[in-house]
Amino acid sequence: MAGLGYRQEMAEWEMSTVAADFFEVAPENWIRRDRTPLHQLLASGRPIQLHGVSLSLGGQAPVQHAFLKSVRELMQDLDIEHYSDHLAASGDAHQLYDLFPIPFTNSEVIRISDRIKQVQDVLGMRIAVENTTYYTNLAEMSEAEFLMQVVERADCNILLDINNIAVNHKNHQLLGVHDFVSQLDMQRVTYMHVAGHEFDERFGLYIDTHSQGVEAGTREVAMALHQQYQIPVLLEWDNDIPSITHINQELACLKTSTAI
Amino acid sequence: MPEDFYSYIRGTTDVVPAGYAEPGMRAYRYLVYLGASQMVEAHFPEIRQQMGESAWKELIQAFVRQSAWASHFYGDLKDEFLAFIAREADSSDS
Repeated sequence: MAGLGYRQEMAEWEMSTVAADFFEVAPENWIRRDRTPLHQLLASGRPIQLHGVSLSLGGQAPVQHAFLKSVRELMQDLDIEHYSDHLAASGDAHQLYDLFPIPFTNSEVIRISDRIKQVQDVLGMRIAVENTTYYTNLAEMSEAEFLMQVVERADCNILLDINNIAVNHKNHQLLGVHDFVSQLDMQRVTYMHVAGHEFDERFGLYIDTHSQGVEAGTREVAMALHQQYQIPVLLEWDNDIPSITHINQELACLKTSTAI
Repeated sequence: MPEDFYSYIRGTTDVVPAGYAEPGMRAYRYLVYLGASQMVEAHFPEIRQQMGESAWKELIQAFVRQSAWASHFYGDLKDEFLAFIAREADSSDS
């Protein structure tokens, strides 16, 4: 079971030739737009999931009920089961259209899980939160501890991004992917993300660009978890999107049960 | 999260907030600049061509510095940019 993040650039593609079993879109890209391409995907028998970028669970702005109503309407229109966003802030009380780190502190566990509960109450359903990359952060505890405390207190699910764990590991020399994953409750994981990243020498950091193929180590962890827990995996490719043939090769690797 | 964190990202201060690493803060500031630059250029490519790189960079930096964007929709940066240009024109008139 391998999914693909559906992007605007794929609008011209013959999607019947794309070997994905399901798709994922950002609600922010479709709430106000003609959804014909998405209905065509659904007509091919492949479900769509929602993965947002603007909820700003770590931000200071009040949870926006009108936006969540639009998300709910989109989910009903497209028969969507899962909605997720990032365990991150999009800004302070305003949006800066990127993802910023939430300090891994006890007070933020309380504040953020309360905000997730508010979102879930408005939507009337559980959401999932994604572990994100961070390029610098404050911490009283490890990221895995923070993630688990938040999701248990909020009683929400996890969208487990294996690439993000790998990027953080490289940038901060912290927990390896195996150690990180071993601290999680896999029953809460709805599905996994894999992607590629690049080193940026201007900052001396690996940046989560989603512009490359998936590293072997990331793919192996995802496939092992898929085999052990039957958790689906989804490929994200947002920049320098390659050909359908190349995407299909990546998807084929994610469906192969033996290690690559 | 301290206010200083977002002040650094907006470019209203160059003081790295306590506890954060300078390369990571620079990366965040750059990523926000890039996001704003790409959306404005997508709508107004002629502005960048006419201004040249250094004036363009200053313009986008000023746009980010003064930002109080509220929309969930990144595409709404186009309207925010037009409002920013109008404010800039007003302030230079007066």
